[in-house]
Amino acid sequence: MSNEDHDLVPAELAEAAIPAILEAEGKPARAAAAILAEAGLTGVCASEDDGGMALGLPFALAIAEEAGAKQLRFPLLDQILLAQAFAGQDIASRIAAGEAIGLIGWEGANGVLLRLMTDIECDVVLVPTENGADLIARSELAAIPAPVLDPDQPQVWLDISGAERIGSLDAGQMAALRRAGEALYGSFATGAAVNALAACCEYLAARVQFGRPLSSKQAVRHHLSRMKLLIEMSRAALARSLRADELGQGRDGRPAFAGAMTNAIWSLEKAIHLHGGMGFTSEVPLHRSLRDIRKIDMALGGGRTGRQVAHDFIEAA
Amino acid sequence: MTMMSDFSKPFQPMNNADYRLHARGWLGANLPAHMRMDSTDWRAPTLEESRLWEAAMYRAGLAGMTWPTEYGGHGLTLREHLVVNKEIGAISMPESVGSIGKELAGPIIMAAGTEQQKRAFLPRILSMDELWCQGFSEPDAGSDLARLRTRAVPCEGGWRINGQKIWTSGASKADYCLLLTRTGTIEDRHKGMLMFAVPMSTPGIRVVPIKSIDGKVSFAEVFFDDVVVPDDARLGAPDEGWDAAIRVLSIERATNRMYRPWRFETELRQLVRGLKSDPELALLLQDPSVQDRIGQIAGQIDALKGFVEGTVEQLMNGASIGARGSLSKLYWSECHQAFAGLALDLVGKVTPQSSALAQRTRDHFTTAYLFARAETIYAGTTEVQLDIIAQRILRLPKDLQK
Repeated sequence: MSNEDHDLVPAELAEAAIPAILEAEGKPARAAAAILAEAGLTGVCASEDDGGMALGLPFALAIAEEAGAKQLRFPLLDQILLAQAFAGQDIASRIAAGEAIGLIGWEGANGVLLRLMTDIECDVVLVPTENGADLIARSELAAIPAPVLDPDQPQVWLDISGAERIGSLDAGQMAALRRAGEALYGSFATGAAVNALAACCEYLAARVQFGRPLSSKQAVRHHLSRMKLLIEMSRAALARSLRADELGQGRDGRPAFAGAMTNAIWSLEKAIHLHGGMGFTSEVPLHRSLRDIRKIDMALGGGRTGRQVAHDFIEAA
Repeated sequence: MTMMSDFSKPFQPMNNADYRLHARGWLGANLPAHMRMDSTDWRAPTLEESRLWEAAMYRAGLAGMTWPTEYGGHGLTLREHLVVNKEIGAISMPESVGSIGKELAGPIIMAAGTEQQKRAFLPRILSMDELWCQGFSEPDAGSDLARLRTRAVPCEGGWRINGQKIWTSGASKADYCLLLTRTGTIEDRHKGMLMFAVPMSTPGIRVVPIKSIDGKVSFAEVFFDDVVVPDDARLGAPDEGWDAAIRVLSIERATNRMYRPWRFETELRQLVRGLKSDPELALLLQDPSVQDRIGQIAGQIDALKGFVEGTVEQLMNGASIGARGSLSKLYWSECHQAFAGLALDLVGKVTPQSSALAQRTRDHFTTAYLFARAETIYAGTTEVQLDIIAQRILRLPKDLQK
């Protein structure tokens, strides 16, 4: 099923997804998975045979932005990616149905320890390997939490030395999953920036100094304009990364991902600054998005990706 | 200058894939070596060479894509315009000397001119028989055109114009000036604006060139002392022409020089190739901080490409463009200016013993760095664009909300 087969457009589907995202946020992992699956979100790109909607990645991209904007901390994007990547296998239909939960360990394991962005109750974990990726069972594996960056939802080092392999992806499949993952996580980060900008606009229009709202000050207005600029550029680059090039070939999505991460981090840091002292309190929830996108950047390596893009450009020039 | 192939009108429509191949093939085969900015054979083309080159491009179907056929255009859409612009950006050719006519005067004449004016002016803009300059900015009215002082007063035989323009690109070589005047007083602000197509040969016009920091004399002050033009030089009634111009300008800001992201990529490649042509300079490209910057620039180029393509699709679907042009102008100018700074850092290592291509690269990017100072000033400064985004896109309040 392709985009053209539906009357749906990505933005409309994403808007329809908002109630489920809001309902799922804060729920235990199993309950959140069930809510999101019921709304069709975990299986948005999964095949119809696996119970999915078989929609293209532009739909997932739009949903990812809403998930970022609504600060969803359940790993919805990993479910979307795994349910699509393991098409035709039992795990795909279980994830699409919300009956199983998977996590992706983006950082290459050294054979012993694998870092995950979060450690929720889950069934399977995808581990990158030299030849692609292995899907392993999560149960019984020891985990070492790393709570400094995010005490509420810590990263975790997973000991995979005794893991049971239950599936695999070849190198081409893993490369495709990584490309899709970079686009979706870039969009999630962009959504976080959208939310941060909205919060700033609301706060600064209401906060009065010397008889006028802070949003009347040129320096403040220009910061907000720059946030908007970077958001629109990230959106444009990510959407383009999913479109075929002039010769019908897939594009290199790495520059779009690296740019989106840089832009989102700048926007979140600036948003916290613009909230003044309140921005530094845990009461203003912008810090949650900052922690999330910093974890994404560590896991998928925005900076490393940019350098690799440069290396490839220099080689090809 | 000889052209390998020449397409006499009417240009034959073709599908986008063929059009792309045609544009790529024609440009590659016909751009003279001395007009390739990335070539060691480069020398600045004369005005006549530039006119001939752009006229040939037009005949080959590579200019005037969206203009109606009755006015000399090819009657195609923005999609074909984009296809051609991608290929124009992909080759290192000089900037157009006719862009004010093709991207500003032409669209405004199409929106506000009489049928007679359209038929008289538009084909000659595309054929490069007539060059235009833009007479908008004044010493006290740059971004804030409401402060415009140049006055047009009805007189026997038409209109008498007095005033001064400044930052007028290409004034010394232009055949016509797209002139913005006011018929009332400065207190009228945006009311009473009147536009004219003024022949630059009209008595009373004096052009005083201005030397810019890149050593060129590309713009000028233009003085209008009791310049009398006939009524048929008027573009629309008072206010009407200006209103049309504002509408056109908002679209033009988002669609003109559409090739920029693709040219940006070509420049980045030109810089890397120039450095790679010399073993010692090639080592600079292994510096992680340089690689970080190149990776960042590649991402910015991708974003700009996506933004331009998205704008074309939105316009094709009938969406209004709003202030979208401010986003692309702002992003391009700041990213490109920063790139020029990086390029200057790198080509600063070129020595007289470096390769010929490296030396050509140094010359190109040193000039480009100096010219890039203008990029965040012309066509609305960075601060003006940021204000537009704050006001028209974010709608940030300046006063307390009730």
